[in-house]
Amino acid sequence: MICKVTRAEIFQYLDGELSRGERAQVEAHLRSCPDCSRLVTTERAFRATYLDRLRPDPVPENVRERVIRLLDALPSRQSSPSRPGRLGRLGVMAAMVALVILGGILGLSVRDVWKGPNASVIQLADASVDQHQKLARGLLPFDIAMASPRQAEEWFRSKVDFKVSIPDLRSEHLAFLGGRISHLTGVDVVALGYRVNDKNVSLFVIPEEQYRRLGLSETPKFKVVNRRGYEVVVWRSHGTGYALVSEIGGQPCLVCHSPEEKLELTPAPAAHRS
Amino acid sequence: MDLRAEFQAVVMANLDSLFGYARVLTRRTSDAEDLLQDVLLRAYRAFGSFDRKLSVKAWLFKIMKNAYIDRERRRRARPVEGEWENGDERATDEERGARTLPGEMYLYVPLSPEDILLRHLTIEGVREGIRRLPAVWRQVVELREIEGLSYQEIAEVIGKPIGTVMSRLSRGRDLLRASLQDLLSEREKTGAHDL
Repeated sequence: MICKVTRAEIFQYLDGELSRGERAQVEAHLRSCPDCSRLVTTERAFRATYLDRLRPDPVPENVRERVIRLLDALPSRQSSPSRPGRLGRLGVMAAMVALVILGGILGLSVRDVWKGPNASVIQLADASVDQHQKLARGLLPFDIAMASPRQAEEWFRSKVDFKVSIPDLRSEHLAFLGGRISHLTGVDVVALGYRVNDKNVSLFVIPEEQYRRLGLSETPKFKVVNRRGYEVVVWRSHGTGYALVSEIGGQPCLVCHSPEEKLELTPAPAAHRS
Repeated sequence: MDLRAEFQAVVMANLDSLFGYARVLTRRTSDAEDLLQDVLLRAYRAFGSFDRKLSVKAWLFKIMKNAYIDRERRRRARPVEGEWENGDERATDEERGARTLPGEMYLYVPLSPEDILLRHLTIEGVREGIRRLPAVWRQVVELREIEGLSYQEIAEVIGKPIGTVMSRLSRGRDLLRASLQDLLSEREKTGAHDL
């Protein structure tokens, strides 16, 4: 390729491995180079069609059973209360702040927080974090972008057979980036991307039938799981499941408000409830 | 929280990935299971001090890689990693291609993503293409494309510089295209439509 940008840089760009400045350089080049732009487009299509859907082969059932027996035989231990406790509080704050911002418009209220993940929720949370990272790095392009939440909602109505409610909060702290039909643990979901004060937040809308398969109790309403530095909040509202992924310590309220304020969470205003 | 319950949840959520990586390393299901059990015991001992901000999957993979090297050292009295990894790196592309991907053309004319899209491979076909890759490249391609690890995480898992990760990934992707072309050719010869 006779270009300012090498093929290696294109792949680093697609892999989300470039710095912000390097990304900007590549994007500027792509705007003026049809060959490289075409390479990016086809690579993205290839990844979306094949690579993003690849999952590891399932472990043989007999191996799975032996692993379960081994895990059950491990000696019980307690985790250290100091560091996880602090991280946990920060994480819960961050996720709850995101919930207030995004969930308020969905007619939600934060009443209590659940702290007992089961394997199915862990699996969902891990898949949500994977998708969130790919969305944030631009590895999974949006099907619809540069659109208002209402326009996106309309677009998804004709694409999926479950209800999609997209928060439409008018706030300088929050920007709706776009959405795509994506896959979480083998299920079609709607993935929505937001920027909240320069941090990425992803909201996954899950068909109710799939949400029910998680086997979660109705109370507490919000299940919060800490995975790989992210808070994942899982809940159901008006016949639809949701999973929200946000970064610990990066939420707007951590910048603009005191921790005490953030913990004083109240139900969303009545005007925002559906 | 009870550490064992948390560890169990982490392992069960990543079990398919862990076993898959064990199979890539050992290339035998029975060895893979032994390695997996060894890794789980090692990981549980260290789980209390694991930094929760890091990727638990990358952490487990790194333990597995180290455990694998230890096992092979014990078994052969010298590290087998040096044999199959460096051995492959010393080989020329032609030698590697002749040994692992019969046929010459597709090493030099890799299929473009556009062609693959137009010719409608299935997900399983792509998976088979990855399985056919030589271990050195398959490892990096799987860690990136299936497990979603970053370059840095892959570098930590395989214990190589990030530049090596990038070059192996680039080469692995080229070989994958070649492997997919091979699969498409087989399909066209046999008239099969399930790849």
